[in-house]
Amino acid sequence: MITPTLKIPYVNLAAQHAPIRAELLEAVAGVIDRGDFILGAAVHDFESRVGELVDARFAVGVNSGTDALVLALRALGLGAGDEVITVPNSFVASTSCIMLVGARPIFVDVRDDYNMDPDQLERVLTPRTKAILPVHLTGRPADMAPIMDFARRHRLSVIEDCAQAALAEYRGRPVGSMGTVGCFSLHPLKTLNACGDGGVLTTNDESVAEHLKILRNIGLQNRNDCVIWSGNSRLDTLQAAILLVKLKYVGAWTEKRRANAAFYDDALGGIEGVQTPVNRPNVKAVYHTYVIQADRRDELKRYLADHGVETGIHYPIPVHLQTVGQQLGYVAGAFPTAERQAQRILSLPVYPELERSELEYVAGTVRRFYGVDGAPR
Amino acid sequence: MRVPFSYLDRQFADVGRYLEDIEGLVRSGDFTLGKPLLEFERRFADLCGMPYAVGVGSGTDAIVLSLRINGVGPGDEVITTPTTFVATVGAIAMTGATPVFVDSTDGYVIDPAKIEAAITARTRAIVPVHYTGNVADMPAIMEVARRHHLLVVEDACQAIGGMIDGRPVGTWGETACFSLHPLKNLNVWGDGGVIVTRSTALAEQLRLYRNHGLVNRDEVALFGYNSRFDTLQAAVGLRLLDQTEFITERRIANARRFDEAFKDLAPLVRIPTRRQGVKHVYHLYVVQAARRDELLTYLNRHGVEAKVHYPIPMHLQPASRSLGYQEGDFPVSEEYSRTAITLPAHQHLTDAEIAYTVEQVRTFYLERPRE
Repeated sequence: MITPTLKIPYVNLAAQHAPIRAELLEAVAGVIDRGDFILGAAVHDFESRVGELVDARFAVGVNSGTDALVLALRALGLGAGDEVITVPNSFVASTSCIMLVGARPIFVDVRDDYNMDPDQLERVLTPRTKAILPVHLTGRPADMAPIMDFARRHRLSVIEDCAQAALAEYRGRPVGSMGTVGCFSLHPLKTLNACGDGGVLTTNDESVAEHLKILRNIGLQNRNDCVIWSGNSRLDTLQAAILLVKLKYVGAWTEKRRANAAFYDDALGGIEGVQTPVNRPNVKAVYHTYVIQADRRDELKRYLADHGVETGIHYPIPVHLQTVGQQLGYVAGAFPTAERQAQRILSLPVYPELERSELEYVAGTVRRFYGVDGAPR
Repeated sequence: MRVPFSYLDRQFADVGRYLEDIEGLVRSGDFTLGKPLLEFERRFADLCGMPYAVGVGSGTDAIVLSLRINGVGPGDEVITTPTTFVATVGAIAMTGATPVFVDSTDGYVIDPAKIEAAITARTRAIVPVHYTGNVADMPAIMEVARRHHLLVVEDACQAIGGMIDGRPVGTWGETACFSLHPLKNLNVWGDGGVIVTRSTALAEQLRLYRNHGLVNRDEVALFGYNSRFDTLQAAVGLRLLDQTEFITERRIANARRFDEAFKDLAPLVRIPTRRQGVKHVYHLYVVQAARRDELLTYLNRHGVEAKVHYPIPMHLQPASRSLGYQEGDFPVSEEYSRTAITLPAHQHLTDAEIAYTVEQVRTFYLERPRE
């Protein structure tokens, strides 16, 4: 039995919140004082700040990242009979949103950066294709130029799934500003995170933004006139106030994540059996997750756990191979890259509050597992 | 004098202990389906006298999830009443089903005698609304539902604590849906909702459905929603659960005072029939008033924040255009929308504020000539 010298959890929200606790509580108290719990001032402030941050003309706060995707699809008029192209290796919500509006998800395989392979789009295009839903998985932007180019040629909407990628950039453009609509999650474990569920959409299209504002608020155009039957998906004012505090820090947090990732890149690059993330020029990744591909992945995961390092797998079962995915009609082998990656990927702790010594410990433990540094297994 | 409709400043004047709970949560980071939520669900279920309660994103989501988990979808028809908040109908439409309306009674709830005529081969469910906190005639509705094998989902968003002959709302339907919106009798600091059910299987399915269909961290059993009641809000709700009875009793007492004070103003002011054995919880205190719009302006001008819930019945909303209804289809609901007025009746009103409200209404009718 090994007694780990350090314990490094995969996430540590307490560490994020400790230095800003007073500020957060003050923000909460401010909302209580105003009593504007529903679509209050903080929601509007947050929306305009997100618009600036993402360089999009409009931002609309909603109840979750999943709801952001669902409402984006609805605002663009997608439903039964329509096909939406996405990837099978994302969190299930990237697919559920399509199912929930009654449309059909069509998968394409991914590349070595875990993102949509634009070269596969042509192959799955049908007359029913209405939209592409690329996911900026792990916080790394998908290759948007060819995707946007394909979408323009075939008059498709593009819904960017930015759930993991707030502040990421592609060729100098923030994610969420390139597609028809960008959908962000503000879940507690995201890089820009509320203390509960939340989401936000960004768009440059005023009519889409107006439509979204009606859709998120039960179809109400004003207090009494309901122009379209819809559900309720509002970002809580309380969470918006918390997010406004965090917006002050998210830039610095992101740089710290990137620095942590760069540390791992150095420390783990070149180990035989380990592949560090692929960095392409002009892509700024924000490392919601720091994902390596590893030989003997499950063994490595156990070894790290035994040594006090908690890790994650995002995600071990591609959606088409989930029980629920069988109805989509794909077989094992349909998306070889995504399937191979699912066997090999491992997410290391990368949150901003990690100490240098902790990063060294994580990297050192991985190196030891592979017998680097003269400690054979 | 100003008689406010909203009471949040009074209710949360003592904010310290709530903030302590929130601080504890911020320390633990237990924000998603956390411990306070589980405790809230358990205690909410107890409050309703039901085995299971599942916290979701809103009262609206509670209805959407209840219908969808029972298989209601495109091609189905769901019966409800045009006298409700738009969310009831929005929720039905979100499942892909078609809302079908049935007129209400003079108690502002669905008229059970008129349901049968609206049933077709496509009818799958009835969503009775315990509107204003009054309780729909559940025994009669359940009888119709049984005869036609229809699902019943109670929209109890406005009616926590309501009862018929001691039996609480939420105990009749396959599921019942509650809202915890800041202006509800049991309220939190943002959107939230709860579904209660007797069915172990449904409760399990709903827990999956609200959380992406995740059986565990990695395995997905169904394509679900993300509709979780925030743990932070549950912490607020836990502090308020105990007050539900007090809040309800105060509202009932205030309503009785109004009823008494307006009795002799009939037919200028019409108080709905107070059914024997029904515990109406007065989320809204609504009467039907002659010269309603004038009265509303008069009261507002004199500091009484009266409101109208709601001036447009659902079948006449722009969103209903494709449903094919027209004015005259539901005379009781339409008359309601023309004449209904809501007076502040919340638990934080003082005796003086109630007396002042009464006085203003009486003055309007008794001392002011028709304008």
